[in-house]
Amino acid sequence: MTSTSRRLSRREQHQQGAAGAKVTVRNTLIAYAFMLPFLILLVLFHTWPVIFGTYLAFTDYNIISPPKWVGLANFHEVFADEQFWAGLRNSLKYILVVPVIQVISILLALLVNRPLRGIGFFRTAYYVPVVTSFSVVGLIWSWLYQQGGVVSSLLQGLGLMHGDHDLLNSPSTALIAVMFVTLWKGVGYYMVLYLAGLQSMSPELEEAAVIDGATPAQVFWNVTLPGLRPTILVCSLMSTISAIKVFEEIYVMTQGGPAGSTYTALFYTYSRAFVDFKYGLAAAAGIIVAFISIGFGILNFVLTRGGKTDA
Amino acid sequence: MPNINLPGTPARLPAPDAFAQAAAQLRIRRQRRLRLQNILAYTVLVIIAGIMLYPFYWTLITSLEPSGPIYQPKLLPSGLSLRSYAEIWSGTTVPFWRLLINSVVICVLGVSLTVLLATLAAYPLAKMRFPGRDLIFYAILALMVLPNESGLIVNYITTIKLHLLDQSNPVLDTVRQYMAVVLPTIASIVGLFLIRQSYLSIPGELLEAARIDGASELTIWRRIMLPLAMPTIAAFAILEFVAYWNSFLWARIMLPDKNMLPLSAGLLELSGTFSTNSRAVMAGAVITIIPILVVFAFGQKYFMKGLEGAVKG
Repeated sequence: MTSTSRRLSRREQHQQGAAGAKVTVRNTLIAYAFMLPFLILLVLFHTWPVIFGTYLAFTDYNIISPPKWVGLANFHEVFADEQFWAGLRNSLKYILVVPVIQVISILLALLVNRPLRGIGFFRTAYYVPVVTSFSVVGLIWSWLYQQGGVVSSLLQGLGLMHGDHDLLNSPSTALIAVMFVTLWKGVGYYMVLYLAGLQSMSPELEEAAVIDGATPAQVFWNVTLPGLRPTILVCSLMSTISAIKVFEEIYVMTQGGPAGSTYTALFYTYSRAFVDFKYGLAAAAGIIVAFISIGFGILNFVLTRGGKTDA
Repeated sequence: MPNINLPGTPARLPAPDAFAQAAAQLRIRRQRRLRLQNILAYTVLVIIAGIMLYPFYWTLITSLEPSGPIYQPKLLPSGLSLRSYAEIWSGTTVPFWRLLINSVVICVLGVSLTVLLATLAAYPLAKMRFPGRDLIFYAILALMVLPNESGLIVNYITTIKLHLLDQSNPVLDTVRQYMAVVLPTIASIVGLFLIRQSYLSIPGELLEAARIDGASELTIWRRIMLPLAMPTIAAFAILEFVAYWNSFLWARIMLPDKNMLPLSAGLLELSGTFSTNSRAVMAGAVITIIPILVVFAFGQKYFMKGLEGAVKG
């Protein structure tokens, strides 16, 4: 040990209070006692599902009889199941929400970052859908989408739709209708994160660019946007993963229908487990979805160039 | 109007009035452009606020209408009546007040246990030294990124194996099922990090002084850490309240007894069995949203702080 590291640890000791910083059996026991309830529940409901879920994927299991090892049979069955591929295709289509939601959130953040009177009201208003339960949001939108309802009348009034349709009830529009609800509910969340990103940037940078004669558009593209890149990385990663794993809005509004048009990959997993009681098959499908979302996470990381501000 | 033509200005500066005029003109033009920008900004803000809030407003006014066509667009209710509210309160198979009580119990139980366990576990991780501290910390961190798609399935199996869904004695069943709803979400990794972060900023001298005075670690936790970390704890508690109040999937998939469902899950049940009376379900939706809006309105500052902290990790 060098003298510098010893000095550091002594200072750390001082910072942390002498007694608690001493490593004694008694202190160790006290420390673990503090963490024990948390750790028990963490292992039981966070670690165990990862381990046992992975194991289940290679078994035949229905809760009543013990799991029976079947090797890769579940994976073969999932890959051979046209329903799974249909679900996966819809999940991938759902990723289209990501660029839209990110662009709108950034624009909204720029808008509510202006020092206007009453701007607090608008920030709050945009956030109300975020704090509302998906069960309520799903119900409200399924009423709004009804035939002769608000959305239908609005779209006809604007000349965007001919004839009166329930968008959730038609296979060609149901997925887009659900995607819009995801967008509507999520945009305030990302807006707040981008707003925090904007407010943590030093205003000197933008001011300097303006003094140097940059147009507002140039300032946005060359100063503001690069400054937001770390936030963009985090937000687009979160929204990509939640798009692939979309479930709650589907569960509340369409249950995968009509005609399987909103059937997503996680809905496949859910129905195998809680409708067919094929837990092994469901776990296998879950693992496949997990790997796909990790793949998209990495792709997303590469596309946003690792969140580096100076890229 | 400020005038740059001051007395004593040397006469060789040509026509200072022209400068003043030009400056004033520029200023007016800039003001006009700013005002135009502001009008444009407000227009966009109001339109988007309409898109975000109209669905809620529409649900509220439709739930207050006594009768008539339900789904058409409207700006004002065709009449005012609390009939739908009376119907949802008394006219359902699972009594609505029962759902409300379930939600309150689940929230109180869930929020207090989640906050308690996170504030306890964060203390040694932030302020004590013991073997395995870094290992535990990084293991928990790693758990956040591990894929957990089978969580719902395995937790369901675990809940059954723990006999939380057994039905033997009505009182015991009730307690067990409430626990089954909250248990999987009580150990909050995000909360642990949030609170550990705020513990870290508490000066070690305070703890040292307390220890010299003979305070136990539990006393230090209760008398020093909790009060000083209170803003963060409040933020986390509000975040958790919203999460518990809004969660419906786990309860609806797992609970065998419909009488045990929280409001957000029970509402879906009602919209199925009560589909002929959407207005009553709308009244139920309004009642479900109100507590969240109240908590959000009063705790908004804390809420945003918690949210940003949670994402920064």
